[in-house]
Amino acid sequence: MPKVKTNRVKIPEGWELIEPTLRELQAKMREAENDPHDGKRKCEALWPIFKIAHQKSRYIYDLYHRRKEISKELYEFCLDQGYADRNLIAKWKKPGYERLCCLRCMQPRDHNFQTTCVCRVPKHLREEKVIECVHCGCNGCASGD
Amino acid sequence: MLPNRDSHFSLSLSALSTPHIRRHSLHTPLPPATVFIAILIFISTGARLFADKDILIIKVRERMAHRLLRDAEADGWERSDFPIICESCLGDNPYVRMTKADYDKECKICTRPFTVFRWRPGRDARYKKSEICQTCSKLKNVCQVCLLDLEYGLPVQVRDTALSIDSNDAIPKSDVNREYFAEEHDRKARAGIDYESSFGKARPNDTILKLQRTTPYYKRNRAHVCSFFVRGQCTRGPECPYRHEMPVEGELSQQNIKDRYYGVNDPVAMKLLSKAGEMPSLEPPEDESIRTLYVGGLDARINEQDLRDNFYAHGEIESVKMVLQRACAFVTYTTREGAEKAAEELSNKLVIKGLRMKLLWGRPQAPKLESEVSDEANQQAAVTHSGLLPRAVISQQQNQPLQAPPQPPPMPYFNIPPLPQHERAYYPSMDPQRMGALIRSQEGSSSGPPGSNENRSGSEQQHQQAQQYGYPEHGAPSGSILPTILPAVWPHGTASSSAAV
Repeated sequence: MPKVKTNRVKIPEGWELIEPTLRELQAKMREAENDPHDGKRKCEALWPIFKIAHQKSRYIYDLYHRRKEISKELYEFCLDQGYADRNLIAKWKKPGYERLCCLRCMQPRDHNFQTTCVCRVPKHLREEKVIECVHCGCNGCASGD
Repeated sequence: MLPNRDSHFSLSLSALSTPHIRRHSLHTPLPPATVFIAILIFISTGARLFADKDILIIKVRERMAHRLLRDAEADGWERSDFPIICESCLGDNPYVRMTKADYDKECKICTRPFTVFRWRPGRDARYKKSEICQTCSKLKNVCQVCLLDLEYGLPVQVRDTALSIDSNDAIPKSDVNREYFAEEHDRKARAGIDYESSFGKARPNDTILKLQRTTPYYKRNRAHVCSFFVRGQCTRGPECPYRHEMPVEGELSQQNIKDRYYGVNDPVAMKLLSKAGEMPSLEPPEDESIRTLYVGGLDARINEQDLRDNFYAHGEIESVKMVLQRACAFVTYTTREGAEKAAEELSNKLVIKGLRMKLLWGRPQAPKLESEVSDEANQQAAVTHSGLLPRAVISQQQNQPLQAPPQPPPMPYFNIPPLPQHERAYYPSMDPQRMGALIRSQEGSSSGPPGSNENRSGSEQQHQQAQQYGYPEHGAPSGSILPTILPAVWPHGTASSSAAV
């Protein structure tokens, strides 16, 4: 469990600047984890988890790769400590996957007929315009829209 | 149509479809001693008669529970390569992706495990899957999904009564008898022994031709009604895949898959059969000189030769006239008997190139009215009044109670068939009586159509008359709504002589 730091870790500089946001996101995640499931579908109850995980990873990815406001050391530190998903960020670096919602939606092995989730289809190619994908509740994560 | 058969099945299905079947919750586990004794008895009796079915029950239970997948074939667990389904269930899309899952579910009729196929029959359809096993479907020659006949698209009960097939006694319905029967049947079929399949041999008779479905019916593939919407609680909004409509309740809602399969107590079938009994047969018209039949529901694909092919068998055809604008045709015979014979034989059964035709008697002056009809084909009820007027006048003269437009007589003058439905929402101006078809001598007598509250003062009549011919819209004194596209010119001279509206 990455949140509990049992080992003595050396915190790199710049950490104080990003720490508040990260703590906030963590609190949000805890809230989502403890939400009651009433009134929601079985899959729908998991959507906030995926959404917040995406948000956390996005924050760190943005800071390092887009805005370049933190050092590589700090970035690696965050990834190691589990504040962001390394694999998801790896996908974001690829063309066409810049807005990927979660790793499940992209995995053909997880779907019938070896396809991707419907949220990966651009809106102008889809027939239904409003969708919520069953894995993460995504409305559409193709890079075009 | 080449459905793209995909033999991959989804990971979830394959991972979960363990050979262990969940259906044995009904069967209580037996103490081993009983089993032992039972099997002993079975062995001692030797013969496999139905009288031994109690013993067989035990044996089968044990077999199924213990043997699992090892003896899949022997135990009668069915595997197949492609489902037996009808056109409607397969859908309108020529490309179909189907998942196949061996032994995924148990047949709803015989409760044996079988191969489940799942696909989506078109864009606006829900996913459909096979519900009964192939053995059961072959026994009754029905589609595996909708349980309707493969050739006619009719429920089992309808087809059986129409063709007088009665295989019901042969198929046991209870418990393991059923499983045993199905298994035996399956075994025989696989071995290639031809069981008494009466479905290929039955010759289609009139009733069934009348009742059968000629085109696929895709409305049954729609998504189910959203039950949350019915309660007003659907929070999914636009992305809800279920239909947001109110469900249609009625006697037809209480259907049961077993009843439908065995052809017993099926409400849809009973409704269809009663409708079939009441289907009106085409009566010969009183006027003996009419030898013309009106054929409606034509299409661009149907040409004169098709009509000739269909009609020549009943008598010598004098002429075939096609009116494409009205999607109809008139077939005239040289003899009256030929026409009557054709009417009798083809009345509800005429199907050309997959399209069902409507057959009515024609009117003797058909050629003249035809040309008028085709000229004024775009104009509504007014045109048909040209056909009705003379008759209405005649009936007036005979002092019959007024019934003209809402109920055309069984022997109509040539009428455009859709008219009777129009009449339901009928405007005063559509009634020839009101629009001045009355003969002057009669105008004092009858008071016009029932329900009318027109003011028929004499002065008004005089006043109206001048305007009547040209401006029927202004003629109506009451505030009734008139269709605005009535022709300004009344086709016949018969209207001119009369008065009031």
